Amino acid sequence: MSIEIRKLSHIYNEGTTFASVALDAIDLTIQEYCMTAIIGETGSGKSTLVQHLNALLLPSKGEIQINDRIIKADEKPKQLKALRKKVGLVFQFPEYQLFEETILKDVSFGPKNFGAGEEEAEQRAKEVLKVVGLDESYYEKSPFECSGGEKRRVAIAGILAMDPEILVLDEPTAGLDPKGARDMMQLFVDIQKNYHKTILLVTHDMEHVLSYCQHVVVLSHGKIKRDCDVKTFFSNVDDLKEMKINPPAVIRLREALLAKGFKLDPSLLDMEELAKQVAKEVKR
Amino acid sequence: MKNFALGRYLPIDSAMHRFDPRAKIAAMLILMIAIFIPAGFIGYALIGAVVLLGIYLAKMKLNFIWNAMKPMFFMLGFLLIINMLVVKTGTPLITVFGFTVYSDALSQTFYIVVRLVLMITITTTLTATTKPLDLTMGLEDLMSPLKRFHVPAHEIAMMISIALRFIPTLIEETQRIIKAQASRGVDLDEGKLKEKIMAILSLIVPLFVSSFQRAEELANAMEARGYVPDHQRTRYKQLVMQRKDTMLIVFACLVCAGMIALAVL
Repeated sequence: MSIEIRKLSHIYNEGTTFASVALDAIDLTIQEYCMTAIIGETGSGKSTLVQHLNALLLPSKGEIQINDRIIKADEKPKQLKALRKKVGLVFQFPEYQLFEETILKDVSFGPKNFGAGEEEAEQRAKEVLKVVGLDESYYEKSPFECSGGEKRRVAIAGILAMDPEILVLDEPTAGLDPKGARDMMQLFVDIQKNYHKTILLVTHDMEHVLSYCQHVVVLSHGKIKRDCDVKTFFSNVDDLKEMKINPPAVIRLREALLAKGFKLDPSLLDMEELAKQVAKEVKR
Repeated sequence: MKNFALGRYLPIDSAMHRFDPRAKIAAMLILMIAIFIPAGFIGYALIGAVVLLGIYLAKMKLNFIWNAMKPMFFMLGFLLIINMLVVKTGTPLITVFGFTVYSDALSQTFYIVVRLVLMITITTTLTATTKPLDLTMGLEDLMSPLKRFHVPAHEIAMMISIALRFIPTLIEETQRIIKAQASRGVDLDEGKLKEKIMAILSLIVPLFVSSFQRAEELANAMEARGYVPDHQRTRYKQLVMQRKDTMLIVFACLVCAGMIALAVL
């Protein structure tokens, strides 16, 4: 499952006084079978970009290739369902999409739309609910009775139940407490590893980028600023500062210690390893 | 829905934008009355000229008016058909499948269409040149004499301004939910009846839930800031009538008087 984006532009309200360019001639190839972070300030075009991946938004210019399916500007594509089954998009605050009477019904809504039978859909729903950590006692509960974190799990299960090859997550940890956010991220890592999915993650949290992702794409004003692996991305601290990105705690600590004259490996990215080296230094 | 022109404010600066909202509302009401005075073709030409002048003063593109008119096309077509079936006076024009189309049917439809077009244009001019908040402030002021008769002018104005304020939010919300459900395979355009009902349900339930949530949050936020509906309140922004505003109302009255004169003569 590969996604290639070629010269993609998106202009909102094209041809009116409200026109605004959200994406400006973007070229991007999504790395398969790993977790890619998409970062950028508010209004940099992240959400616009991810909505192109399952053709909710169509390009104003340029094209996107998803497997052998090419979506071009000025071409009204048909039968997008097949595409939407392959690319599962989880919106920001996805708990708003819940509507069924019971959690089981809500989660099996997706697969049923994509042609699964009643029993098959229910079976899939039960499987994914287990994956997101909700046991049998939740099956017959109303999704509206759940807590915020549980609702989000149900909503994410609703997308997972479609068994997409690519999972796109738009700020999935927004509004969760730190522990909830960590659990959620661990869940995605497990899904990625156990089911060999390609995951795209829109996020603001550099800690998450460092700890969970392998690849980073930086968007700014509708253009791609960086497209590299996580280690390269965090290796140049000045570069991060220039992009107004606050580096993760471990890098901030490392830099502060280096400035104080500690002899440390300047490419350290692991808190444990940093602690060990500091301990060594202190003993000496 | 993105190009929804009906009732949309145009953030530009024009002579029409600078009029007092109360003057604009009053002038609109007077012109609306004028439209319904049966003064024949000359009368409509007069009002039409006034409306065109308004469009010019508001710096609106005709294109924008056209877009605002679009949702009405269905109704206009419907009116034409009903009129053709019902009105049986005037001279018969043609007979199709045993139905005779009379001249009055066409002329009546024409009048209705002209009236509707004029009305939509006038209201669009008002909403395109007046910020929703100014509009409700104007309404509140115009309704304030009714307070003596225990009409809750302020509450009505507050209700209208909250409703107006949340239209774009709800449209955005709806589009978001449509997209979220489309990602789950909902197809609002195709599918069997049962699937379509399910699709609409998957849209309405979340929309209701979030609307109730918003209502509660807004009510709490307002009360937290000490909002009590029937208390005496002062305003940061004061509306001041100027000479040109009075002239606008007088002008509208003159047009109305002219229409009456044309109708009587």
